[in-house]
Amino acid sequence: MTDISQAWRPNIIGDRINPGFKSTLALLDTGDVAGMQALAVRQVETGATALDFTIGPRAREQPEVLAEWIRVVQAAVSVPLCFDYLDIPVLDVCLRTYDQDKALGRLPIINSLAETRWELMSLYELRPFRVMLMASERMEDGAGRPNRSSAEISATAKRAARRLVRDFGLALDDIIIDVSVSAVIVDTTGLNRAALDAIREIGTDPDLKGIHVSGGITNIGQQMPAKAGDGSDLKRQLECAFITLAAPLGLDTVLATPWHGLYALPEGNFVLETFRRILELKGSDALREVRKLYRKQA
Amino acid sequence: MSQDDEKRLVDMMADMNEEEALALARAMLERGFSPLRVLELCREAMDLVGKRFEKGEYFLPELILAGEMLEQVGAMAKPLIRTAPGAAPQTLGRVLIGTVHGDLHDIGKNIVTFMLDINSFEVKDIGIDVPVEKFIEVIREFKPQVLGLSGFLTLAFESMKETIAAIEAAGLRGDMKIMIGGGQVDERVRAYTGADAFGNNAMAAVALCRNWTGG
Repeated sequence: MTDISQAWRPNIIGDRINPGFKSTLALLDTGDVAGMQALAVRQVETGATALDFTIGPRAREQPEVLAEWIRVVQAAVSVPLCFDYLDIPVLDVCLRTYDQDKALGRLPIINSLAETRWELMSLYELRPFRVMLMASERMEDGAGRPNRSSAEISATAKRAARRLVRDFGLALDDIIIDVSVSAVIVDTTGLNRAALDAIREIGTDPDLKGIHVSGGITNIGQQMPAKAGDGSDLKRQLECAFITLAAPLGLDTVLATPWHGLYALPEGNFVLETFRRILELKGSDALREVRKLYRKQA
Repeated sequence: MSQDDEKRLVDMMADMNEEEALALARAMLERGFSPLRVLELCREAMDLVGKRFEKGEYFLPELILAGEMLEQVGAMAKPLIRTAPGAAPQTLGRVLIGTVHGDLHDIGKNIVTFMLDINSFEVKDIGIDVPVEKFIEVIREFKPQVLGLSGFLTLAFESMKETIAAIEAAGLRGDMKIMIGGGQVDERVRAYTGADAFGNNAMAAVALCRNWTGG
């Protein structure tokens, strides 16, 4: 296999500072400062250029604890933090606590802004930041709607990006479009096909030159068995399969565990070829093809 | 038709031999086999599929494909079932389900709805981004035994908490059980929201509903 980083150098937002990981939850529960700092350092040493950051719902009721964990992590690493919260009071604490000098002058990132949560931009008065912009939903006639097609995703991305540039003066370089990668095991409506097509549409739009495109690739293998039918690591291979197809289209940022490794799968790879067939199917046919990923090969 | 056919039908469905299972079910019905018995055999097969899921031998696709087989056999069998009292299949209970306000995700909710439906629950799915007031309005009308609150985003935890608090304030919690599911829901989130239980997958939701309704 070819290490994709030789030709493709993604911005990796390390995803481990999240209590959804049991080991991280244990660090938070026991107040293990050294352990948390080691986790941050390990992510950076293995390639993370920013760190996603959430301590879960406790941040809302314990803002002082949230602020302390931000200081703990920033004392250990100099990459920017990507604050993974959606409510303003919590983000307010995050942005006030964030020490830009410790991040070598680089801005924090808010994960995730969406047309349906535009009120988050009121925080821009507090301090400038970069945004992860969720393009999987939009506002239409005053109501939030999920985006199902690539045209809807790319149109939302373009509309929101223009608004950020026009109303807040963000540079396109400060905007990361999240096209939302779906778990392949439940994708019976072609959401991953739409995500890939949207990456292509955004990547080839001259008005969006310089914007970043990301996907939370860890999602893709959720609830799948550990091993593929050919005995390989199925979840990792699925992540790599998505990247193999998405990187040439313009995906340049991933929210992922850095030490899992990102590499291009070669043509003919069992998981890559099966994933390609799944992308062309919907409904029960997609599920039947998904089964082929993990059923023992004859 | 023989006991051999009965066993073959259960095995074919449980082993995911879709075309063969559907052909055999059709043949059995055409030859006068009791449609209620055919449906009962399908449920036996579904139980086997559920057990294989719990043991980690099967995954979500098998659950859904087996459920679709059950639906197709049901579509063949139900017109043949006489509408005499007692012949109609009974539901195990009413479940109201929706994605809480601020969250537009529906994949997990739709799978839970489907699995509850094929497991004989009467399910009312009121969609995504559901305001608190809507839940209260439908609880009053539908009178569910179980309420399922779904949410994928972290902001959903707050919406779940708010929804449950409003239901309690309206005096509607009573004996109704509330389960939550989606994204990163765990015991900590359950405690935070005030729900009775959480589920990490569709079968967990079915098991919770069965426990609560005695199904």
